[in-house]
Amino acid sequence: MTRQGEMSYPRHKRNRWLALGLGGLVLLLITACSNSGRPLTTLDPQGPESTKIQDLAGPVFIVAGVIFICVEFGVLFIVSRFRRRNTDVDGVDEPEQVHGNFRLEIVWTLIPTLILCGIAVFTAQTIFALEEVQEDALPVEVIGQQWWWEFRYDFDDDGEPDIISANQLVIPAGRQIDLSIRSNDVIHSFWIPALNGKKDAVPGRTHSLLIQANEPGVYEGQCTEFCGISHGYMQMQVRAVPAAEFEAWKQNQLAPPVEPTSSAELAGYEIFKAQCARCHQVNGIDTEAEGYSNTGPTPDPDYGADQVANNAPNLTHLMSRSTFAGSMFDLYADTGDGVCPVVSDSPTAEEQHSAGCTPNLVDLESWLRDPPAMKPMAPDGNRGMPNLGLSEEQVSALIAYLTILE
Amino acid sequence: MAVTEERPLELEASEAPEVVEEPMGVFTRPRGGRGWRSWVTTVDHKKIGVMYGAVALFFLVVGGVEGLLIRVQLATPSSSPDELLMSAETYNQMFTMHAVTMIFLVVMPLAAAFANYLLPLQIGARDVAFPRLNALSFWLFLFGGLFLNSSWLLGGGPDGGWFMYAPNSSVVFSPSHGVDFFALGLIIAGVASLISAINLAITVINMRAPGMTLMKMPMFTWMVLVTQLLLIFALPVITVALFLLMFDRLFGANFFNPSAGGDALLWEHLFWIFGHPEVYIIVLPAFGIVSEVVPTFSRKPIFGYPFMVFSGIAIGFMGWGVWAHHMFASGIGPVSVAAFSFATMFIAVPTGVKILNWLATMYGGRLRFTTPMLFAIGLVAMFTIGGLSGVTHSIAPADTQQTDTYYIVGHFHYVLFGGGVMGLFAGLYFWWPKVFGYKLSEAWGKWNFWVMLIGFNLTFGPMHILGLQGMSRRIATYSEGYGFNFWNMVATIGSFILAVGVLLFFINIWVSALRQRRHPVDVGPDPWDARSLEWMIPSPPPEHNFDEIPTVTELDEFWYRKYGHDEQGRLVRIAKTEDVVQKGDRAGVHLPSPSYWPIVLAFGLPWIAYGLIFNLWFAVFGAACVIAGAFGWAMEPPDDPEAHRHPAGPEADAPEGKSADVEGEGAPVG
Repeated sequence: MTRQGEMSYPRHKRNRWLALGLGGLVLLLITACSNSGRPLTTLDPQGPESTKIQDLAGPVFIVAGVIFICVEFGVLFIVSRFRRRNTDVDGVDEPEQVHGNFRLEIVWTLIPTLILCGIAVFTAQTIFALEEVQEDALPVEVIGQQWWWEFRYDFDDDGEPDIISANQLVIPAGRQIDLSIRSNDVIHSFWIPALNGKKDAVPGRTHSLLIQANEPGVYEGQCTEFCGISHGYMQMQVRAVPAAEFEAWKQNQLAPPVEPTSSAELAGYEIFKAQCARCHQVNGIDTEAEGYSNTGPTPDPDYGADQVANNAPNLTHLMSRSTFAGSMFDLYADTGDGVCPVVSDSPTAEEQHSAGCTPNLVDLESWLRDPPAMKPMAPDGNRGMPNLGLSEEQVSALIAYLTILE
Repeated sequence: MAVTEERPLELEASEAPEVVEEPMGVFTRPRGGRGWRSWVTTVDHKKIGVMYGAVALFFLVVGGVEGLLIRVQLATPSSSPDELLMSAETYNQMFTMHAVTMIFLVVMPLAAAFANYLLPLQIGARDVAFPRLNALSFWLFLFGGLFLNSSWLLGGGPDGGWFMYAPNSSVVFSPSHGVDFFALGLIIAGVASLISAINLAITVINMRAPGMTLMKMPMFTWMVLVTQLLLIFALPVITVALFLLMFDRLFGANFFNPSAGGDALLWEHLFWIFGHPEVYIIVLPAFGIVSEVVPTFSRKPIFGYPFMVFSGIAIGFMGWGVWAHHMFASGIGPVSVAAFSFATMFIAVPTGVKILNWLATMYGGRLRFTTPMLFAIGLVAMFTIGGLSGVTHSIAPADTQQTDTYYIVGHFHYVLFGGGVMGLFAGLYFWWPKVFGYKLSEAWGKWNFWVMLIGFNLTFGPMHILGLQGMSRRIATYSEGYGFNFWNMVATIGSFILAVGVLLFFINIWVSALRQRRHPVDVGPDPWDARSLEWMIPSPPPEHNFDEIPTVTELDEFWYRKYGHDEQGRLVRIAKTEDVVQKGDRAGVHLPSPSYWPIVLAFGLPWIAYGLIFNLWFAVFGAACVIAGAFGWAMEPPDDPEAHRHPAGPEADAPEGKSADVEGEGAPVG
């Protein structure tokens, strides 16, 4: 119970605290709303789909904000206006006993109903607008697996993928991409916040999601359906490039992998065939000849949840991507603004080098030494990359080979 | 129903005690006595309620520590897994168990504690309809909770999240026994809730005091009734789903295995058909509590009682039509997305009505800011935020950006903590003097409230921002460079302030109990000048609750025995409280006898579960307990033939009203 003495806090001191508090709040809000340095923000749409969502959500947030302020101020007003004063005498200064007001209650049932009806109309429009596939949309298959994403392009529409890539989805800017999302093991969720909302990759089902980037650039994403031990380490990127560059990239991807030449590269190639080809594919390596029965670039599309996906990212054109291991690490040193690697139809190490793109040897080496130390894995369950126990020579030979796979 | 059966259970005054008939059953019933035995064998709804509350508060500490560990882990970004406090594996178990603990072992049982304790008191009954079943519910809940938590010591907790989506919950992807503990533990806890829900619903429907029509029931009773009906329909769904999961894991069934023709989305649907009503199961009792506290301390009746009742019922109904809003990103197609989107929007209407009616109740009142009132106002202010953020993701396209991000984590903590826990704390402070006979300290209580409120907002407020800025849920860590650092640190600091706030509550209990022991103060039956029937009887209430079952003519019956209106509608005291309250005189009241068997039966279930996981011999032992418990239960005499000798001596000429009988639990049913 409040006693009278407690009420005499000086008003000007209270005001000073209030001003300080408000100033701090405004500062915090400014920090909160800034999108710079926040590559996963949902508040900075970069494509038509995400813009549609923003255009719908923005006004709703404003409506909700207004209601929020009204209710909270209502609470504050009522609390300050109708508090029992110390001078009140119990049993005498008692409030009027109001049991309700039917008309008023009908009104405040109808008002939110009407507001929500309005919102519902726009919501329905947006839901269906987000499903509209454009005629020239580029189909890409997206396959989630523990804990990386595979992307398949089928340009000639023969049902066989022409390009199989991983982690970084390369798309032409300004063109709609029609993603068919599925999963090889558990449920994942594909999400590039700047381009569209998320869509789950559910084993046994194929889900469609449309994305489009207005401008060239790198857009980051994160798997957002809990998918096991390394869920937090399952990221992906969309790299949007101008149409001409996309064509060059495509030609490079369609080309066979670079052949190893130097002795180090050849040694790495042998280790790759002996150790890595068990799960990883480089096009042209005949895994059956190497004595591995199941792997290949095209696992059974009905690959089920009781079979752990025994395949791993296709490394044929590894160095044409800028990240590895579920987009957790950069393949090139210091690729800050995402310009590495340089996209062309026949990129060479020299070309990348002259553009300032050098492989990120630090991360690559530690990755090959002990992958589970960099990203949690369940290698015993055949999920994720195990520690192969490679010697230092083997690590450098492997890197020599892998880094030529432009 | 056996409950209403009239049986002459009192001996005629002239009849000598020696000629008591032999008991019908083969086992004698334990005597009501004192000490721990009286708790273990009790069938008294008040003792069971207190035990529910104590266990829930214990698990609050467990779940709270789990939450703090999560916040410590996320306080700063990491650049490699070995910098982390917890490995990703442990972290996944931690957030799973945090959610499971808080939902199933804290908030639900705390609501059950209030429901058990107060429902019979509010409707003027002497106990629940089936007192032994009530005891069984509690023991099953306790053993289920302990079983779940024993997973920490037996190979690790469940690691699939409380939603446990298939096929990540299958043996291939979650090879430890954690998920088995989850499935079996929740089945046991679910049986407990289901039994309790049926029991309480029957109690409300059948055992109200004469004159208490449905529309004269206290709001808390109403909201608990709606909650029990939700539970009765929701729990079978999750229990079936958990059985299917258990069969998938233990016996190689393929219900949720897509490669064998099962369906991963089937689990999602089953889970959320339960999971969304579950949200209302959690918040409706808290709404009921606030609807009791606000009128009491505004000294006005609840504004628009019928609207409050029907909005609660509407929430209960509409709550069934919104489950797929948890699945907007799961690929259910635009038409179903639109349908569930609309349903979700419009459930905001009855919820909004409740908020506005609470405000209208306070409007024009003489508000006394006691601690329960502060928590109740806290609920109104905080739940509004949770409700509004809920509306922002009822618009499905926006939800596809927000779902599975920290925006959702922020949202549902404003619902479950801002809505649920705030209300439950209001209830703890409000009914504490009724239950224990002394008030919790108001000074400590206010510190408790304000520290909790600030800590709560600092913890969960920033999560909205983090979510909109793209931070996903359930990630064991995050890297530098996403702009998540600042708000995560704020949230972590906030979580410790929140923990201090909760700690203050426990300190308050200690301080107040100590003070009461040193300087006992009699708070009397009605310390708050309150409104409903439970305040008409002594604090703590006598075992038999009411000396005489009151006849109800008004909503807020007790209040209108104290107060009337003058011509201007002003409040006029018409009777002194002392003259209205009952004295706690047990003469002539017959009560159900305690029983050993509920705890024996309940004890068997976790052993069956251990047996399914580890060694079938455990299951044999567990089954033996269950069978022995059920057999003893059935063979038990309806009451202790000696019982009448102990409590009140010979009761000559018991008045008619005092023969009200709760033992009516039909032996084969109860």
